[in-house]
Amino acid sequence: MAYEWTSPVTRPEQIEALVSGVDRYNPSNVGILEDYLYHQLRSGEYDCLANLAILKLYQFNADLYNPDIIINILIKSLASSPLPDFNLCTSLLEDRPPGASLDEPDPLPSLLPVIRGLHNLLYRCRFPAFWAIYRSEQLANLRDNYTVEISGFEDSIREVAVRAVKAAFTKISRERLATYVDLQGAELDAFIDKQRWTIDASGSNVEIPPNPDNQIEATVVQESIKLPQLTKIISLAAVKS
Amino acid sequence: MAQQRMALWAAEADIEEDLQDVDLSLAIGNYGQNAYDDALIQPPQIDEATLIAVQQHMAQQAAFAQIPDVVKGFIVHFHQAVLENNLAEITVAYESGWNKYTEKFYAKTEWPEAEIIAPLVNDDPIFLILYRELYYRHVYSRLQPDIDDRFHSYENSCELFNYLLNSDGPVQLELPEQWLWDIIDEFIYQYQSFCTWRSKVKSKTDDELGLLAEAGPVWSSYSVLNVLYSLIQKSKINEYIVAQQQGKSAEEIAEIVGEYGSRPLYRMLGYFSVIGLLRVHVLLGDFTLALKVMENVELNQKSPFTRVTACHVATYYYVSFCYIMLRRYPDAVRTIVTILNFIMRMRQYHTRSYQYDQINKTGDRMYALFAMCHALSPSRLDDNIANIAKERFGDQYAKMARGGDEAIPAFEELFLYACPKFITANAPPYDNPAALSVLLSPGSPSPVTPAPSATQDPTHRLLALFLADVSANAQVPTLRSFLKLYTSLGASKLANFLDADEEEMVQEMMVMKQASRSVSRVGDSGRGLLDGQTISTSDLNFVIDENMVHITESTVGRRYAGWFIKNTERTQRLFDDLRKMPLPVPPAVDAATGASNGVSQASATTAAKPPRSGGAKVAWGGVKAA
Repeated sequence: MAYEWTSPVTRPEQIEALVSGVDRYNPSNVGILEDYLYHQLRSGEYDCLANLAILKLYQFNADLYNPDIIINILIKSLASSPLPDFNLCTSLLEDRPPGASLDEPDPLPSLLPVIRGLHNLLYRCRFPAFWAIYRSEQLANLRDNYTVEISGFEDSIREVAVRAVKAAFTKISRERLATYVDLQGAELDAFIDKQRWTIDASGSNVEIPPNPDNQIEATVVQESIKLPQLTKIISLAAVKS
Repeated sequence: MAQQRMALWAAEADIEEDLQDVDLSLAIGNYGQNAYDDALIQPPQIDEATLIAVQQHMAQQAAFAQIPDVVKGFIVHFHQAVLENNLAEITVAYESGWNKYTEKFYAKTEWPEAEIIAPLVNDDPIFLILYRELYYRHVYSRLQPDIDDRFHSYENSCELFNYLLNSDGPVQLELPEQWLWDIIDEFIYQYQSFCTWRSKVKSKTDDELGLLAEAGPVWSSYSVLNVLYSLIQKSKINEYIVAQQQGKSAEEIAEIVGEYGSRPLYRMLGYFSVIGLLRVHVLLGDFTLALKVMENVELNQKSPFTRVTACHVATYYYVSFCYIMLRRYPDAVRTIVTILNFIMRMRQYHTRSYQYDQINKTGDRMYALFAMCHALSPSRLDDNIANIAKERFGDQYAKMARGGDEAIPAFEELFLYACPKFITANAPPYDNPAALSVLLSPGSPSPVTPAPSATQDPTHRLLALFLADVSANAQVPTLRSFLKLYTSLGASKLANFLDADEEEMVQEMMVMKQASRSVSRVGDSGRGLLDGQTISTSDLNFVIDENMVHITESTVGRRYAGWFIKNTERTQRLFDDLRKMPLPVPPAVDAATGASNGVSQASATTAAKPPRSGGAKVAWGGVKAA
């Protein structure tokens, strides 16, 4: 999982060269990385390290600053919770000095706290609250101008919930699940089906198949003694005999 | 290794004193005459330019005259050692002499400027660069650098790196590894110090504002990265490390790394630059990139690069901090434990080292980091370190481990104590008077931003991120302590105990599950520090079946083996020692060997049977001493 995180299979060679080489500091490459971000938005792919490379260039070259790109990167990073991508991205955002002029008003200062709030809800597994806020009137701007452009955004957030549910539940009520993924009726059934989960006989509960995280077993960890620990003693015995 | 080195210079420091007295009379005798002649020969016809020159010259002479003779002797001697590439002598001068005379004469003032001592060293430009390196480092560590010091130390660093990188082929200079590390370390420290100082707009004088407006590349992030990357590329250090890992022969490696990389000076500078990059990226808040530049470096105690203790400790400190910011607490703990054990082991050798304080300070901060990680991801790793950490930060640790609201201030306190001194990459708009005046105007943050503008200080920015993570997990310890009491429990009942809403509580359980999983480099198998896979970090496991929580706990069986092994070995040692002791009324022959051989008698017997435990240490020690 982490290996996929550091170099996703979908990453093109050109981007790999940029991410891993010294050329990542060259401001004239920012366009290539930004295009790659737009490709990620359209295709549903995700490449955290490449996006961090954009933010790095912005950090060093204040004149490259493009708030729309930053907002898209931050939104995109939400779906990788509980991995720290959102924090890693925001770590690179330095305060902009006053007087740095843009042609249009800068949307980032007002949206950053909003996205941070959304991230916080996801990281704290407050999925129903996330959907409520995400769908609220105040966030119309975020939805209409940004998330609508991101292919599969809502599904990627549902994946966050799915990961959490899979790890913690063997069985979850349909009703509860519905609030986590913000789906109802036939859509919810289709979603459950897609996860290859099953609805139990009563029809009100969803069975989560066993996976490494929802299998619990009381174990007693026994000490295991490795040969190197005993070399001294064995060699002593050998010398004595 | 460390022990040997230490003994060497401790012994030579005394001899040094005598040597210098001899050198001194010779050197000063010569020089004094030259200077005197120069003054006499000055032509009588004086225009204004020469007048100034003469005045300057006289001022320099006056300054020169004030330098104590031992210091002059020291500088001459130091220069000679550098000319001859005599590493042992350079080391003595660098580690012992410089500090000694600093304490004696320059504890509160600058060393003489390079221009003043230049005649002592025949105006050797390379030595003067090295001298300035020391001069400015002393200013930074003991005094308050002013803006000229900051600009000039940057220029001097540039000259040094320019000489190393852009001479005709690799330079012949050789310097002790410790000094090479200090050069890189200090370069980054001065960069960090400059960035911090630069970000405080309000305390600048008009002169400083003027200079800063035209500072250009001085201490810019790009210049610093440029130096580090140039050293890395010139030395081919990454290729060197990879070739070593592949077990290539010395000839093959020499082929790969080329004329620069074959020289110890470049190889070490290359390696230290990798560590320098790690540090710079951490300071700038880029924790992923920091670990990525370390891709090829293997963290272990065996590498020859661990010889410079300060570098070794710094590496682990910054790596562990990255892991914390990546929410990889088990990896952080493992990294910290390794280095803290190392510091404990080397303590006996390093008590007199001038770096000892610095290493200890870093060590203390790492105990604080350990306490934080341990609270966030409790594990049974290394009780010894855990006990020390709890002893030092008992108050905070108790609060952090308990969770809840009280934990947050404790985390904040330890984070601020233990974190690196973060910097911002960009200067305030010194070159933009309008913007600057907005910053300078008292207490009026720009009215454009609707939300109270986030604080400019990068440390608090990162602290806020960390605390957000911490508060997200603040309920986990409470939940855990409840769950420990049951094997199964209804969700509504648990919610009742906690006085919480059932749905909230179930979501909190998912947080707890999440907190008990982490990405980690299992078994060091990864291809780099960023690799890893998800592991379970908690002994308490649970699962929710609709509304029923089932809980299990993994326990660790009693451990006997370690105890038995340790005591078997100890008994054997005791037995061997007893057998070696002379009998109370020994026969005459035995007594003679015993008396004449002393320690080596013990080593001789054990050396004959090398695999014997415990005794082996004595044996090797004996051989080396002989």
